[in-house]
Amino acid sequence: MSPPNLAVDFAGIRLKNPLVAASGTFGYGVEYEGILDLSKLGGLVSKGLYMTPRDGNPTPRLAETPSGLLNAIGLQGVGVRAFARDVLPRLARHDTAVFVNVCGDSVEEYAEVAAALEDAPGVAGLEINISCPNVKKGGLAFGNDPAMTHAVVAAVRKVTKRPLIPKLSPNVSDIATFARACADAGADGLSCVNTLLGMAIDVESRRPKLAFGTGGLSGPAIRPVAVRMTWQVARAVKLPIFGIGGISSAADALEFLIAGATAVQIGTANFVDPGVYDRILAGLSDYLVRHGLGDVREVVGTLQMPERA
Amino acid sequence: MPTNRDVLLVERQALGGPYFVLSFGHPQVAREGRAGQFVMIKAGLSAEPPLRRPFSILAVDPERERFSLFVKAIGPGTRALCALEPGQPAQCLGPLGRPFTAPADDEEPLLVAGGYGIAPFLLMSRELRARGATARVFYGGRTAAELQLREPFAEAGVPLELATDDGSLGFHGRVTGALEAHLDRGGDGRRPRLYACGPDPMLHAVARLAQRRGLRAEVSLDPWMGCGVGTCLGCVVKIQAPEQERWKYRCACTEGPVFDAAHVLWPGEERSAAAEAGR
Ligand SMILES: Cc1cc2nc3c(=O)[nH]c(=O)nc-3n(C[C@H](O)[C@H](O)[C@H](O)COP(=O)(O)OP(=O)(O)OC[C@H]3O[C@@H](n4cnc5c(N)ncnc54)[C@H](O)[C@@H]3O)c2cc1C
Ligand SMILES: Cc1cc2nc3c(=O)[nH]c(=O)nc-3n(C[C@H](O)[C@H](O)[C@H](O)COP(=O)(O)O)c2cc1C
Repeated sequence: MSPPNLAVDFAGIRLKNPLVAASGTFGYGVEYEGILDLSKLGGLVSKGLYMTPRDGNPTPRLAETPSGLLNAIGLQGVGVRAFARDVLPRLARHDTAVFVNVCGDSVEEYAEVAAALEDAPGVAGLEINISCPNVKKGGLAFGNDPAMTHAVVAAVRKVTKRPLIPKLSPNVSDIATFARACADAGADGLSCVNTLLGMAIDVESRRPKLAFGTGGLSGPAIRPVAVRMTWQVARAVKLPIFGIGGISSAADALEFLIAGATAVQIGTANFVDPGVYDRILAGLSDYLVRHGLGDVREVVGTLQMPERA
Repeated sequence: MPTNRDVLLVERQALGGPYFVLSFGHPQVAREGRAGQFVMIKAGLSAEPPLRRPFSILAVDPERERFSLFVKAIGPGTRALCALEPGQPAQCLGPLGRPFTAPADDEEPLLVAGGYGIAPFLLMSRELRARGATARVFYGGRTAAELQLREPFAEAGVPLELATDDGSLGFHGRVTGALEAHLDRGGDGRRPRLYACGPDPMLHAVARLAQRRGLRAEVSLDPWMGCGVGTCLGCVVKIQAPEQERWKYRCACTEGPVFDAAHVLWPGEERSAAAEAGR
């Protein structure tokens, strides 16, 4: 029997497999050259980019929590122009889909960043980061208000023909509303989800463990929340979804696919084990063979939901 | 090139108290590891704590494809590592980071360590020896019990100057005091070149001393690290080279952990630097 097909189509973008490295956990991709074969990834998402370089937040920026990681990096980055000039040509050497995580302090800046990439070769799609909890301006303010979400996505839509993938915030009570706002504004896919707003306190000093005070929680601790939200978003809109949150094994990835995600992104697990892609790909193939399936797409959205009393 | 592998513990040596020397099989670290570089490592496949931990490379054995670490067990990650039995697995990425730079022939290499900061200096002593130079190592701690890594230096014939805060062993006082005493005696006559690894206040003291005496110094910083390869941006430190108008956050994992002491913006000194920039 031939090995099962792992390739998927995501908003018109062919991914050779459904595993994509999540924004902010894979640098600009080039950091992993030589450590792992980037061509093995279905794709990768760049660290969040603004028009200009950013310092990010003061340190400490990371704190470990049970089965999780709390971060307040604050979108330190080189800016979109340096990325397009210095990084994209290097990434072109690898056979993988490159997504750019687009940030902004204002609706206009999101559109400006997207426009700056319009002629850059080697960009498969734009992920619109309306959900970063670690910046004072922008970020969550856009992702927590359906009208603002719509405004950002619509503004970017006007300046680009590239596939647009807004990244949803889990820090809302009804994520389906936000998914619909994105779809109405012309989104081609959705990333589900960014980090959960959290806090950890050093009891000896009675100070927050992060210099920013609060941070975004990621890792296995958030997986059940992210799976639930993926399921809700899949029911609300027809768009392809990147399931994101605490994935570190094939079974974790399958939870999201079964809940309705077309592909998944892997974040914190990159830090824990750069070999995570090999393990998950092998596990996915095993699963498909074991279930007599020839194609990973046959798993998507196959949740057997019991009737609720 | 940093290489990620599942490795096995091949030997564990319990020194006094919470101190252990752990040896693992890893051909790339064994061949390529240089003094000041580190590995990111985690015991077994346990879920907790989630992240790997950084440790300086203590020694390498290219023939047997092994390297070793000097680990102080202080929390969940280090305790899990020190509880490994020979034959048990760990996950390891390395060698990582920028090593110490070699001294010139007319420089006297003075290696200054606090606590587990001694780790990179065994390898450094051996590297210097291979180039025909002898290192002088200053090794400080609060008490004699903290100075557990002495034998390998004696075996290697490297002079070790000990210092304890309580006077229980060696020089009574800070390790920088022992260093200053040596400098005041005129050292070995060559231009002193300082290399330091240990707690931040000690590194800061070495940096001030170097500035005061006009000496070159390199420090190995140990901020909290998430990934070891420059992607999480958790371990950034404020660095300002003389030609730069303003500091920049640099990843200690990829652009360090070894930095020129004069380029580090130490906590408490930031205000004056900022004020200077504002003038
Ligand atoms: C480049 C570098 C080289 C190092 N070399 C050595 C060495 O040779 N021998 C040795 O014993 N230790 C070394 N350390 C320190 C070692 O990494 C920490 O002691 C270890 O991570 C603590 O983990 P834990 O789970 O046991 O304790 P935790 O309970 O996690 O932490 C205990 C203390 O260590 C600090 N810490 C925790 N995690 C990290 C981390 N990932 N990076 C830095 N600090 C951390 C915490 O802030 C806390 O103050 C080095 C650190 C760095 C950055
Ligand atoms: C250190 C760190 C930095 C991150 N930076 C970004 C970012 O720049 N843009 C973004 O959209 N998401 C960012 N994220 C969120 C991740 O892309 C991902 O949505 C989240 O971590 C959940 O996935 P995980 O549990 O697999 O890590 C970051 C996460 C971490 C841990």
